[in-house]
Amino acid sequence: MIDINLKLTKKQRVLNALAGEDVDKPPVSNPTNVATVELMDYVDAPFPDACRNPELNAKLALTGHTELGFDSIAPYFSIIQESSALGCEMQWEQKDNWPTVRMGNPIWKSISDIKIPSGFLEHQDNVAITRSINILKEEVKGEVAILGKTMGPWTLAYHVFGVEPFLLLSIDDPEETKKILRKLKEITILFGQAQIDSGADVLVIPDHATGDLVSGKYYDDFLLEIHQELVEDLKVPLILHICGRTVDRMPSIAKTGMAAFHFDSKNLPSEAMEAVGEGIRLVGNINNPETLYSKTPEDVRQEVYRALDSGVQLIAPECAIPLKTKIENLLAIPDAVNQWVSNKFQS
Amino acid sequence: MIKHEGLKEEFNYVTKPDEQEHIEGLFASGDMLMQEIAYNLITGQNDQVGILVKKALDEDYAANIVLDDGLIAGMAIVGVKFRDNIIFVPEVLISARAMKAGMEHIEPILSASGIEPVGTVIMGTVKGDLHDIGKNLCIMMLRGGGFSVHDLGVDTKPDDFIDAVMEHGAAIVGMSALLTTTMPNMGTTIEAFEDAGMREEVKIMVGGAPVTQEFADEMGADAYGANAIDCVQKAKDFSTTKNGT
Repeated sequence: MIDINLKLTKKQRVLNALAGEDVDKPPVSNPTNVATVELMDYVDAPFPDACRNPELNAKLALTGHTELGFDSIAPYFSIIQESSALGCEMQWEQKDNWPTVRMGNPIWKSISDIKIPSGFLEHQDNVAITRSINILKEEVKGEVAILGKTMGPWTLAYHVFGVEPFLLLSIDDPEETKKILRKLKEITILFGQAQIDSGADVLVIPDHATGDLVSGKYYDDFLLEIHQELVEDLKVPLILHICGRTVDRMPSIAKTGMAAFHFDSKNLPSEAMEAVGEGIRLVGNINNPETLYSKTPEDVRQEVYRALDSGVQLIAPECAIPLKTKIENLLAIPDAVNQWVSNKFQS
Repeated sequence: MIKHEGLKEEFNYVTKPDEQEHIEGLFASGDMLMQEIAYNLITGQNDQVGILVKKALDEDYAANIVLDDGLIAGMAIVGVKFRDNIIFVPEVLISARAMKAGMEHIEPILSASGIEPVGTVIMGTVKGDLHDIGKNLCIMMLRGGGFSVHDLGVDTKPDDFIDAVMEHGAAIVGMSALLTTTMPNMGTTIEAFEDAGMREEVKIMVGGAPVTQEFADEMGADAYGANAIDCVQKAKDFSTTKNGT
């Protein structure tokens, strides 16, 4: 419910929305990434350094609050930090592209290879996030929600085993696959807990069991139980993120006990709301490659309105935004939310 | 005519009349061994496909018949099931593995016989992008469709596409991207073909999870493939035109 008489901080707004409690307006959040090249230049914190250095990371993450006016900040810009710490071969790229794991050269072949390196949490690329959260905690003084992020076991499996070998294994030996996922879950928990200890208010769990790759039945068979366990293990609100078409697995996702699901524009807000019912809150789903990247603030406004009219509780880009997205299109998101609330309560 | 019981069940997934007609045509000979190969390919039994293909060749079936009436015919049903979300990538991967098991026996014979491919395609994931599963599925389907495909892998520079076109005399280029940051590199590659004075010599098709028809049009691509089966169709369309052969 929206109660415009409430006076909430950004952090309270996000936490209330995630808990299904009243808010003064729907929060604008960023479970994945809103850093852009323009923002990197503005605070002189470019990729890839901003992914690896805690001070630069915090400077860039903070712009989500200071420059864009979002209700949350998210210092983990990509999906590769812990995979780098595990020893995956990396391609760090430059400021106009995300760093990526070279999944064509996987580091592990079987369950017996899975070993968390000693000093995993002290690895530069993990410290970049945990230390950045410390810094951000000091900066925002409880006013803005800090979203940590830890990869789910399915995504980690792509990185360490390679996508094709892992998906083949899922057919050849489903039981072994489940055991692997359970072991990889330990990494999810370890890095997630480290971010909670550093001050993260919320954790995002990207776990890319997307409809572009696997069936909804796969989600039930391999991940539902593990995701339910993560809720028990990590004692902050969790936001599950899965790209692509996911409406077929949303009823199951709604049973995870997670606070929210961050969904893609390939799913209509109305059908997504119907699919999850009361089971979970939704975060999303402003289209990236077309609307935010190449259209106008007016187009952004229309998409924000569509999501809000459908009942989506937290507004966000559908996924990590294209790094050359224009700031004016990002600023249009909170503007549109304010306008929508104003219109709604004037009428 | 489809006689194999398991294959009949698989054929039930093909619901569009034109596709039913096409795929039934592929099984028109009614040969049980070819249908057994197709069925085992669809269900991903790679060992069995290898054994059956070898058996067929030992029994003097022509290599191109085994390819067309067994492997390609089976793959046609896999493509339809994938496009219609009846199966997903893992199931396609095991069929691709089965296809490869069969092709290991067929390819040396076809190469020696000098049979011309339907067309030659250069495929690659664009610069800065290391994702390749969608590209690999397209390649598998293209090869299943009779194309000769040269795979440039991931993180492919525009010049590498150009060099490959020149080296292999290809008239079709396929580019893939999964990241919104790397999608613009499709346009950069198309510009590189223009700068090299080669744009008129090639048809360029693009695809990948975030790519849309609108984006493809903006980049100046000749075609957008929404999925692997669509990619093959677009390549076949090009192959019937002057530039695609």
